[in-house]
Amino acid sequence: MNIMHPDGGGGVATENLFAQHFKNDEARFIDYYLNKMGGYTALKKAFGMSQDDIINEMKKSNLRGRGGAGFPTGVKWGFIPKQSAKPKYLVCNADESEPGTFKDRDIMRYTPHLLIEGMVIGGFAIGAHHGYIYIRGEYTREAKLLNEAIDEAYAKGYLGKNILGTGFDFDLTVHRGAGAYICGEETALLNSLEGKRGEPRVKPPFPAQSGAFAGPTIVNNVETLAVVPFIVNRGGDWFSGLGKIERSGGTRLISVSGHVKKPGVYEINAGSMTIREIIYDLCGGVLGDKKLKAVIPGGSSAPVLTADEIDVVYDIDPLMKIGSMMGSAALMVVSEDYCVVKLLGRITKFYAHESCGQCTPCREGCKWMEDVIERIEHGHGREQDLALLLDIADNINGKTLCALGDAAAGPVMSFVKKFKSDFEAHIRGGKCPNV
Amino acid sequence: MPKCIIDGREAEFKAGENLVEVAKTVGVEIPVFCYHPGLSVVAQCRMCAVEVEKMGKLQTACSTPATEGMVVHTQSEKVKKNQKGVMEFLLINHPLDCPICDKAGECDLQDNSYKYGDAYMRYTEERRTYLDLDMGPVIKKNMNRCIHCTRCIRFGAEVAGVREMVAVQRGNNTEITTVDGRALETDYAGNYADICPTGSLTLKDFRFKKRAWYLKKTSTVCEGCSRGCNIELHQENNVIHRTLPRENQQINKWWICDEGRFNFRYVNASDRVSTPHALRVESDWTSAIETARTAVAGKKVALLVGTDLTQEELALVQQFGAKSFPGAMIAHFGTSGVKNSSDDADADALLKRKSKTANLHGAEKLGIPAFESLPAGVNAVVVIRGGRAVLPSLGGVTASVGIGVFAGSQAAGFEVVLPGLSFAEKEGTVVNSAGVEQKFKRAIGPVGKSKSLSEILMMWNFQGTSPHASQNQKVTAAAGGV
Repeated sequence: MNIMHPDGGGGVATENLFAQHFKNDEARFIDYYLNKMGGYTALKKAFGMSQDDIINEMKKSNLRGRGGAGFPTGVKWGFIPKQSAKPKYLVCNADESEPGTFKDRDIMRYTPHLLIEGMVIGGFAIGAHHGYIYIRGEYTREAKLLNEAIDEAYAKGYLGKNILGTGFDFDLTVHRGAGAYICGEETALLNSLEGKRGEPRVKPPFPAQSGAFAGPTIVNNVETLAVVPFIVNRGGDWFSGLGKIERSGGTRLISVSGHVKKPGVYEINAGSMTIREIIYDLCGGVLGDKKLKAVIPGGSSAPVLTADEIDVVYDIDPLMKIGSMMGSAALMVVSEDYCVVKLLGRITKFYAHESCGQCTPCREGCKWMEDVIERIEHGHGREQDLALLLDIADNINGKTLCALGDAAAGPVMSFVKKFKSDFEAHIRGGKCPNV
Repeated sequence: MPKCIIDGREAEFKAGENLVEVAKTVGVEIPVFCYHPGLSVVAQCRMCAVEVEKMGKLQTACSTPATEGMVVHTQSEKVKKNQKGVMEFLLINHPLDCPICDKAGECDLQDNSYKYGDAYMRYTEERRTYLDLDMGPVIKKNMNRCIHCTRCIRFGAEVAGVREMVAVQRGNNTEITTVDGRALETDYAGNYADICPTGSLTLKDFRFKKRAWYLKKTSTVCEGCSRGCNIELHQENNVIHRTLPRENQQINKWWICDEGRFNFRYVNASDRVSTPHALRVESDWTSAIETARTAVAGKKVALLVGTDLTQEELALVQQFGAKSFPGAMIAHFGTSGVKNSSDDADADALLKRKSKTANLHGAEKLGIPAFESLPAGVNAVVVIRGGRAVLPSLGGVTASVGIGVFAGSQAAGFEVVLPGLSFAEKEGTVVNSAGVEQKFKRAIGPVGKSKSLSEILMMWNFQGTSPHASQNQKVTAAAGGV
């Protein structure tokens, strides 16, 4: 088990990819990266490999996208056409906008060169000569640190023209978003990158066919790209072996927040722990030693779990099997004395606020659900409101242009079904029974 | 051709054709709001979602190309549930003010609501409202009715070539408006009202004039320029109330310009001369024609014809000239600066042509030359036109007789005015700039005492065959009743 405590303990594990460098203010500089972390050796190795070799190692690694969908990264890279009339692009999704998620922030703060090296390798593998890091607007400090690291990489010849004398050119640009959740959706991100309104595009075509500026484009999460140097250096099989579960390789950075004693970013081997172990062993248990009420396992869009469901292994497939999702690996812990109606109201308000407004069910439905939940929370609910909520959610779920509709509907359906008695108590009693 | 199955019916399709279009070919209607065949596909309204076998989620038919062997269901429970859901979502914030809305009766939202929606609504919160915005002289905006389909945004950017409509704000607060709230710039603005699937963008000109279902519709051709856009004229009680474009993929696709759209106004205008005038005072037909004959008698006559006349009318004038004024010059006029078809060209990137009359090319086909100047010695001119050809300067020679459609101010230049028919009152052929022959169709009966050109020329000739005008009066009266 490879772990890192946010309060400075640091991981002591044998295969701790990131966490050992977190909280180390020297780690972000290129000298540290070159001397202490074997920096840019993977890039040299990659230049000696063919594009197909690199993509094959990626496939072997069982690396699944760390942004939320969990799509196998090697397969995604394989979708890029070898020949393209338009320039290809590699885009890093650093929007990290899913509530509860803050792991990519630490990668950018402490190990930005892992991301840069990963992007140059990725660019080489797919034949892209320009990369973009689309970073959320609120991450002003991280944008600055990234730019400093990029400047260092340019100065040392790891970015720019004729990298390491190989003739391969790769430029990297940091693009700051303006603070919209929807711009974490990859096609909305591309629109925003192009200077357009941040709205998701109709798919197909998928970005691998027509993405940024209509060129074939790969969009990967920060963590996904930052592990690429490890995979290239030590092989896909090694990385795959870090995962303790089928079809899921490597380590996972997880963001734990809410009512736990030690919230923060932790690194665990994929599939090595249950949620119970994470909460009680890793994070010291529920704040104030209260009873656990609920866990939101994968960012606020993930369907909620009750205290009885936390013996599930914390990884993509096991969570999907029980009807929730690992998402961006953001685990939010809720103790017994917190009002779940209020919590759902807050989540739904977020999605109503962040809906881009282009497609009907999400634009109209999210606000409607927000209004109904708010009514229930404040004691003005009606008996038929729960059935209404479930039906509105059903009319949104799976019927919208992008995944934001599902993200809003999932919590509503799971909260109302799993904590029905709390909602009924609000409707009948006019106030929260738990607070 | 490849085939797919839609609701059990085998449908052939062309590669890339989307399911909405393929379904139409086998008589299956898939309801849409944001989809328009002339605009890019955005799949935003979600109304057209259908079930495609072997695909988990519902697929929007507008953005799904048919593929060989694809099996599509448009009537399944899942599809119907989604349609009901979308209709409810679209209506929760819609004011449902159909009784005072100009779009009622021809509104996609209203029609689809009846067909696919539910009569019962569960929404009890306060409806969303927006402030009003003046969008210039053509379009009236009512944002409260808007369903955010973005057809207008796409029409402006993709067809009219002006990015003037935009979405601002986000989510439930999204507002469709103009850039910085400015007035619309495009001279194709009327199309915004046509493509709006609800009453959010309506024509100011038509506002509160007529309920759509009372209007009688005639498919005809625009006379506004040599493009010959296909249109519908809508009238009630012999008064034209509006022009709508009619789809013709070869000529105007789905669009018309504002000039063509509002061209009809002169037809029922109060200053149109619709009674015969002799020596600038109102007259009856017999006396007016007699005065006209007298005015040109014994003089050297020139016949000037507008290129707004139909082929049939022009041929009639040629026969009339040959018989009544042998050797007289016949020349055409129409648009200043566009004398011949070689002068005619596209006036913009979309539809407008430089020739502002419909039949310049037809007139040339009949061998009628462009009017340059009057030959020496001409001392009487007969001008024959429809309603659009710009009257030429005659260099001081008296315009003796005007036949056709004239406004009061134009009529003052003639000794005699014999009121004819506009394009909306007659049938006939016009030839557009691409050489395509099309027909004007009669949308309304003659306005006032106007008569067709054939009738006028027949009377002119007939009265000439008898020495006694008094006898002719009876005969003409009978003929006029035909």
